[in-house]
Amino acid sequence: MTAAVSLIILLAVLGSSIAVAAGMGLTGVILNQIYSTMPLTRILGELTWSTTSNFILTAIPFYIMFGEILLRSGIAERMYGALVQWLSWLPGGLMHSNIGSCALFGSVSGSSVATAATIGVVAMGEIDKHKYNEPLFLGTLAAGGTLGILIPPSINMIIYGVMTDTSIPKLYLGGFIPGFILTVLFSLTVLIACIWRPHWGGEKISTSWEARIRLLPDLLPPLVLLMIVVGAIFFGIATATESAAVGIVGALVITAWRGRLTLTMLRDVCEATVRTTALVVAILVGAFFLNVVIQTIGLTQQLSRLITSYQLTPVQVLMAVIALYLVLGTFMEELSMMISTIPITTPLIVQAGYDSVWYGVLIVLLIQTAMISPPFGINLFVIQGIRGRGVLSDVERGSAPFVIALLIMIALICIYPDIVMWLPRVFG
Amino acid sequence: MNRLQSIAHGISRVGAIAGGALLLVASIVICIDITMRYAFSRTVGGADELSGYALAIASAWGFSAALLSRSHIRIDTAYVRVKRPVRAALDLLSLTVLTFFFALVTWHAWGVLRQSFVSGSRSLSEIEMPLVIPQGLWFAGLAFFIAVALLLLARALLACLTGNLDRLFELIGSKSAVAEAEEEIAAVEQAFEAEHKQ
Repeated sequence: MTAAVSLIILLAVLGSSIAVAAGMGLTGVILNQIYSTMPLTRILGELTWSTTSNFILTAIPFYIMFGEILLRSGIAERMYGALVQWLSWLPGGLMHSNIGSCALFGSVSGSSVATAATIGVVAMGEIDKHKYNEPLFLGTLAAGGTLGILIPPSINMIIYGVMTDTSIPKLYLGGFIPGFILTVLFSLTVLIACIWRPHWGGEKISTSWEARIRLLPDLLPPLVLLMIVVGAIFFGIATATESAAVGIVGALVITAWRGRLTLTMLRDVCEATVRTTALVVAILVGAFFLNVVIQTIGLTQQLSRLITSYQLTPVQVLMAVIALYLVLGTFMEELSMMISTIPITTPLIVQAGYDSVWYGVLIVLLIQTAMISPPFGINLFVIQGIRGRGVLSDVERGSAPFVIALLIMIALICIYPDIVMWLPRVFG
Repeated sequence: MNRLQSIAHGISRVGAIAGGALLLVASIVICIDITMRYAFSRTVGGADELSGYALAIASAWGFSAALLSRSHIRIDTAYVRVKRPVRAALDLLSLTVLTFFFALVTWHAWGVLRQSFVSGSRSLSEIEMPLVIPQGLWFAGLAFFIAVALLLLARALLACLTGNLDRLFELIGSKSAVAEAEEEIAAVEQAFEAEHKQ
């Protein structure tokens, strides 16, 4: 009963377009009034201070800042040029370079929107030049961009790790192999489409071994940053937060080397970072408060009792949760969806016997799916925005095959959990 | 009121840039800390604590910047499908709830600050930071956010009463995700064009 009431209140509040941060807070206040005699609002000051001054959470602004610097550093364009030489001989040509660039950029960036925007701007001009099937080309960018949060680092994994008390390095390790497999699956999707309809693949791009070798140095900046940022965590040299800080300094050095480091640029980076950080932190404040209320009124226990009384098997619980996210993901903004639901779903899934690292990776895959599922899919908007012509449904249509690839990936990690768990076990 | 808002805008921008600069400095201090740890096996100390303060202060000051640029995330699935007057009502409701909840946060934040002041609390670390300093800056950011929210609420109500809905949407309307996406893109395109000029 409590669970139903809570859910209805939360959905009604968020559905009426009340700012998500305040909506979650308000739901907390209302539930507190109805179900608890303790005035929990009293803890709001201490709770806000202790969560927002939490060192682990500083990884979030650091990765946001890192991304803001990267997208202004100009490394993406040269990287793309080099990958064109290496990948575009495949049927589907540049579309493979799109996916490869997204994967490589995603392995230094912790955000999907930033990845899609950066590679999208670089690649967009090529559609007309080489006569590609436009929707499919757009789809590779929207879907490829989502790799940003699966391949470490990942802002979403940090939020998940902090909210559910899961090791962030283990989550990163867990995302690595799925990230690689998904990149291959995306490329396979293009390959199959272009073997089936060869004219979708555009004109042939001329490549040569000489150019491949000559352009290799352009791949160096992202690879070096990858080594610093992810390598430091994997080998235990630095924590996730520290490695993000190192990433910022590394990205600044590369930007300076490219002659792009100016005061205006730094000012824009600072302003953009704080604005994005504030959005995330505001939602986290609301969510942490709601979380405390939910725990106090015993909502999670009630839900698990409900599951026990219906005698659901772990697989059924898992399927129900996956279905819930696929539905929510179509219309809900992805970040809000994740933050408002994981405090409830994670205990249920862990209780059903699944590992919280594994579930974190699954959540990220589900969010990726949501990012390219209409009507609300943030990456669809980003790519359509860059394109600046035609209708949004072209991007939606082009992304559809990649939604299937994502669903296959989700099925794969459900059937073979070791795809996720192998690396965390070996290194952890 | 127009002037008041442009002043608020100026202050929140400075607050955001200063907050960002604080984070940037924190990241550099952390790098120095790591280098010291591996090169000389000793630490500067307090780097993690300082960056925690930087996050709290930067986000408190960022709240108002996000509010003025209408960036706080709202689920607008229903919003975009209703008539203009209903939409205006939802905008007012959203801002009222936002002001209410964060006023509650700010009120209790004042309690935290006062407590630190009265008991002269210092952080439990080698730098023994008097907590009043970071908490004071943090509280100031929150208080400024509430002031800005109240100002916007007053202006929006005024616009509503005079029947000027366009003005209201301009002040507090939900920015579509598409518009959000476009802002992200603008920064990348700027960088892209700069590369081509070289």
